[in-house]
Amino acid sequence: MEQIITYILLALMLIFSVMTVTSGRILRSAVYLLTVLVATAAIYFIMQYQFLAAVQITLYAGGIVVLIIFSILLTHHIEHRMENPVFWKAMISALAALGAVAMIAWVLKDAQSIQNVAGFIPPKMEDIGMALLSYGKQGYVLPFEVISVLLLAAMIGAIAVAKPALLQFKNKNFKQDDQ
Amino acid sequence: MNADYILLFFLTGILMVAGGMIMAYMISPKSENKQKRETYESGIPTIGKTWVQFKVGYYLFAILFLIFDVETVFIFPWAVAMKKVGMTAFVEILIFFVILGIGLLYAWKKNALEWE
Repeated sequence: MEQIITYILLALMLIFSVMTVTSGRILRSAVYLLTVLVATAAIYFIMQYQFLAAVQITLYAGGIVVLIIFSILLTHHIEHRMENPVFWKAMISALAALGAVAMIAWVLKDAQSIQNVAGFIPPKMEDIGMALLSYGKQGYVLPFEVISVLLLAAMIGAIAVAKPALLQFKNKNFKQDDQ
Repeated sequence: MNADYILLFFLTGILMVAGGMIMAYMISPKSENKQKRETYESGIPTIGKTWVQFKVGYYLFAILFLIFDVETVFIFPWAVAMKKVGMTAFVEILIFFVILGIGLLYAWKKNALEWE
């Protein structure tokens, strides 16, 4: 049962991944990508990594896709349809993709599934929380607090970069309106 | 065990969407005219293309949303372990919140939350 569902999900991921890169319309690509990310979350659920699945859905399916869709909607020519690439470019891309597959296969050839390791218990969310909050050995409280500083820096950076650009955009539009 | 839930969600999702469409197809009265095909039926006729460029202002909100989204991810495990750890956990998350609160204050002060 579990295996069948896993294979269905993997097939879905493969199909939608291919559709993401082959679709000529960029907004559709973003939606196909969303499907791939949600299917990945489902795979995590099956592997009993609940926290990872929740992160996958909130951050990737929720946050990153929203960001991608916004960036697409901000571009000038959304309706623009991508032409099919010329043959030699497609060949080079295929070669690069094959190289990546070969590299991953080479890394994974000795690895065994973590589920097969004796005494494997999937990590519970509580354990992750305990590790995040403990300040003893194997505790991650300092990284946890430093993350908030990182997020603060990201926020300030985003505002510092985007705000002048926003004002510029506004002024440009006003000028256009005057003409 | 988890796979069964995934299957359940999958089937429910398909059933909800397909069921709604099939029901609508079966029981709805059918009439076809040009006006029906408009974006807003009986509304104002749309002018120009649908594919317009959106305002840049949305992007800043998207980034701010993403940052607080990342913050939420760290609150999930905290909330689960909070009861066990007790007061220490509370102080730790308080520091976390205060540092991010400064970010929110900065955004507020710089009028980044203002819609213009």
